[in-house]
Amino acid sequence: MSGSERAAALPQWTRAAATWRDALLVTWAVARRDRFALAGLIIYAVLLAVALAAPALAPYNPLDLNYRPDGDVAANEAPSLSHWLGTTNLGRDVFSQVLFGTRVALVVGFVAAFGVVVLGTLVGLVAGYYSGWVDTILMRLADVAFGIPFLPMAIVLVAFLGPSIWNTVLVMTLLLWRDTGRVIRAQVLSLRTRSYVEAARVLGASHVRTMFVHIAPNVLPLSFLYGSLAVGWAILTEASISFLGFGDPNVISWGFMLQDAYNSQAMARHAFYWFVPPGLCIMLAVMAGFFIGRGYEELLFPRLRRR
Amino acid sequence: MPTRFSFLASRLSQTVLVLWVVATLLFLIFRLMPGNPLVAYIDPNFTAEVQQALLRQFGLDQPLHVQYAVFLSNLVRGEFGRSFFSREPVSQVMWQVLPNTLVLTLSALLLAYAVGVVGGALLAARRGTWAEAWGIPAVLATRAAPEFWVGMLALALFSFTLNWFPSSGATSPGSAYSTWWAQVASWDFLRHLTLPALTLALYLQGLPTLLMRSTMLEVMDEDFITFCRMRGLPERTILLRHAARNALLPVVTAFALGIGYSIGGNVIIETVFSWPGLGRTLVRAVAAKDYPVAQAAFFLIAVVMIVMNFVADLLYSLLDPRVSHERQ
Amino acid sequence: MPLLEIENLTVQYHTLHGAVQAVRGVTLSIERGRALGLVGESGCGKTTLARALINVLSRNAAITGGAVRFDGVDLLQLSGEALNDYRWRRIGLVPQAAMDSLDPVYRVGDQLVETMRLRGGLTPAEARERAARLFALVGLEPTRLRLYPHELSGGMKQRVVIAMALALQPKLVIADEPVTALDVIVQHQVLRTMRELQETLSLSLLLITHDISVVADLCDDVAVMYAGRIVETGSVREVFAAPQHPYTMGLRNAFPSLRASSARLVPIEGYPPDLASPPNGCAFAPRCPFAVQRCWGDDPVLMPTGGGRLAACHRAMEADVLRIQAPQAFARLEATGSQAVEGGAPGGGIP
Repeated sequence: MSGSERAAALPQWTRAAATWRDALLVTWAVARRDRFALAGLIIYAVLLAVALAAPALAPYNPLDLNYRPDGDVAANEAPSLSHWLGTTNLGRDVFSQVLFGTRVALVVGFVAAFGVVVLGTLVGLVAGYYSGWVDTILMRLADVAFGIPFLPMAIVLVAFLGPSIWNTVLVMTLLLWRDTGRVIRAQVLSLRTRSYVEAARVLGASHVRTMFVHIAPNVLPLSFLYGSLAVGWAILTEASISFLGFGDPNVISWGFMLQDAYNSQAMARHAFYWFVPPGLCIMLAVMAGFFIGRGYEELLFPRLRRR
Repeated sequence: MPTRFSFLASRLSQTVLVLWVVATLLFLIFRLMPGNPLVAYIDPNFTAEVQQALLRQFGLDQPLHVQYAVFLSNLVRGEFGRSFFSREPVSQVMWQVLPNTLVLTLSALLLAYAVGVVGGALLAARRGTWAEAWGIPAVLATRAAPEFWVGMLALALFSFTLNWFPSSGATSPGSAYSTWWAQVASWDFLRHLTLPALTLALYLQGLPTLLMRSTMLEVMDEDFITFCRMRGLPERTILLRHAARNALLPVVTAFALGIGYSIGGNVIIETVFSWPGLGRTLVRAVAAKDYPVAQAAFFLIAVVMIVMNFVADLLYSLLDPRVSHERQ
Repeated sequence: MPLLEIENLTVQYHTLHGAVQAVRGVTLSIERGRALGLVGESGCGKTTLARALINVLSRNAAITGGAVRFDGVDLLQLSGEALNDYRWRRIGLVPQAAMDSLDPVYRVGDQLVETMRLRGGLTPAEARERAARLFALVGLEPTRLRLYPHELSGGMKQRVVIAMALALQPKLVIADEPVTALDVIVQHQVLRTMRELQETLSLSLLLITHDISVVADLCDDVAVMYAGRIVETGSVREVFAAPQHPYTMGLRNAFPSLRASSARLVPIEGYPPDLASPPNGCAFAPRCPFAVQRCWGDDPVLMPTGGGRLAACHRAMEADVLRIQAPQAFARLEATGSQAVEGGAPGGGIP
């Protein structure tokens, strides 16, 4: 509700027809003026570097069992020089698992956010541009999507499709496009009547061309805003699904680590070294998305900004 | 008032439509599960006759459209069949867990909104200060921290280290109460409720806090607030009686929506704290492929959510004297 | 001693494009029991001036100099608490956005009562009784006290706000474009009501408007504002009969009711200057058909011109002659878009 009201209120810089390049430049503008958004970008940069270098950085294979010199499994070990964050109940190296977890989080977060934003933007563009029955049908679909309890549906669907990170991503895309779709639609409705859009139509631009060349660049910053929030939600959701035991059992994710810790009673054993780091990582990654989103929001809706 | 009536009538029909679509989706998903729903249940050693009898018992020998009709009419009557495993009627299972979920959700929500409204108003009043500069990232952090992780930290600290609160369930083993109300009012129940409710509230307060802050800031720029200043009303009166009262409208609406959303999200908190509620029941039923129970739990969650969406609209139109005019 | 004396008041806005001086050294006084009309085009600083008087400016604006003396007390030197005592109890204000000035979630009567209780120290019963009388005074049935703002028409809301401004029996009421948002018939009713109230309650009134016919109808004195300055003041009768500043002459040409109906209306060509970078000379020079060399480099100050009148124009002494040329001169300016009178401006200057 407030999202669509805001979209109707509108950023000044959409007054003129923006281009795709302008839309991308906004991202840099956001990072430059907001130190939290900059912090968000830095967090993602660091996570990306860690994800890429995980095999080189990780001292052990995250799934390997480690042994003590005497041949026993090195299970439930407290942090030491050889295992910086200790070991799991099966003797796996926690630090290496945290490093490898970065990969899953980023892949799931960005792929799902990309899917959500592309689907949501398309739906919003088409619904807002064509209006009429197309709009009615698409927006009823959005109503239904809003009526579906997200996490329970995700669990049921993942259980049905089989536990794999791609199914998790697919489910998130299918359920989370609704917010982006509604907001983009409201925006397109107001853009559609602008003179330059009408001019493009009069000059004979096709519907597709009008939508993608003249309207899309103007809603793109809004898509980015919802995209950066979606990265956070996706990482959080993947972690939740894994924690509940419906995640991909062959992939080490932070959610999986926490499930592992929970199931093996790590809390009762005060094994903070095991379950604190993955949770912190999730929190940081999600916050980075929120910070960037907020940066966009302040740029797009200056009313919210401190004066 | 005809405008308000027709607005609510259209929202009501939309609500019914969404419920029907969700129910249909539910039917399809569970029918499309690999094999038939009894695969997990039927022992391969059963004779063909026994298997047939079971299929008939669950109505699975009928054509799909008949099953669909039966399914819908059962839903309307609140008839969900029997659990594959415990053999209990599903509705009975639901009646046992639903109240627990409602108690947990409502107590957490009330706490979260009380804290959020006050906190959001304060953040707005202190705009431009360090309280805002650090307050907002702190609130975002509570929204970004996975609930189950916060729950694990709470368990590790308050139950396993400090021993202040029990670590799981809603009551201590062996305790018995004459009525459900007696149980809810008991000290033991309260001790069990504290950690999950606080954890949930910590997560839930983020939305009202941020919402209250941003609507407060919007309201503070309105002409009628400037007019209050011109009249020389005390700053406290302006802030509380005028700005906060107006900013409260969307927050109250969010509260109703919040009931719906947090019931959906409860699957996590209930699992972490082994709280015998709807969400945990759903997770366990899905994991165990106890479809009748999973279906019912999911449907109930969806119903609460969709109904609360409707209630939110209703509340909004009641609370804001302008709404019935503006929406048209 | 005048009731209100404004002396060299300046107000600045901080914007993304730097500081903008919206009020640039205004000096003005309001006599007891008289109605002063403040006219000028929109954006000339009228509203900013009004809000600066009781220091209720928007967050990005600040008073940077001058004095506002009410009964001899400089309001700008008062602490927040002491200034607050002047607000509403002595100076009431009918803001420009009166339509949106009422809190949408409370009944209008309750808002009136709240003001009287919190600021006037009235008991609830007294406040309710006075609210009913105030409503009758501004021409509203007291039954409407129970309504919410959205249930009232624009004209009624305007009257509620006027009632509110009178609630604590202030000595001065500032009305900022009190009728702009209303339709013409209602405008006249509301203005009539205001004038009657001003006379019967012997208030001082500062009426701000862009419409000089309103001033001519309702006010005793007039001050003409241009680009953050007062350019001419005097009694309404004298100023409109014989304006001494070319801008006032132009305004008079631009409005219908002050001229014979047969005469053509001539708008003033051009726009007010950008106050982020005010011109060196007279701010009106770029639009003035009578501008001479001196006007471009030397900013005229407000000077007595006899008979208690003031004008800020280098050629004020020639006003009687210029006034006769004015209709043709402004018309020519409108037609050609350039200044060509009496060797006027050195080229350029027109934005």
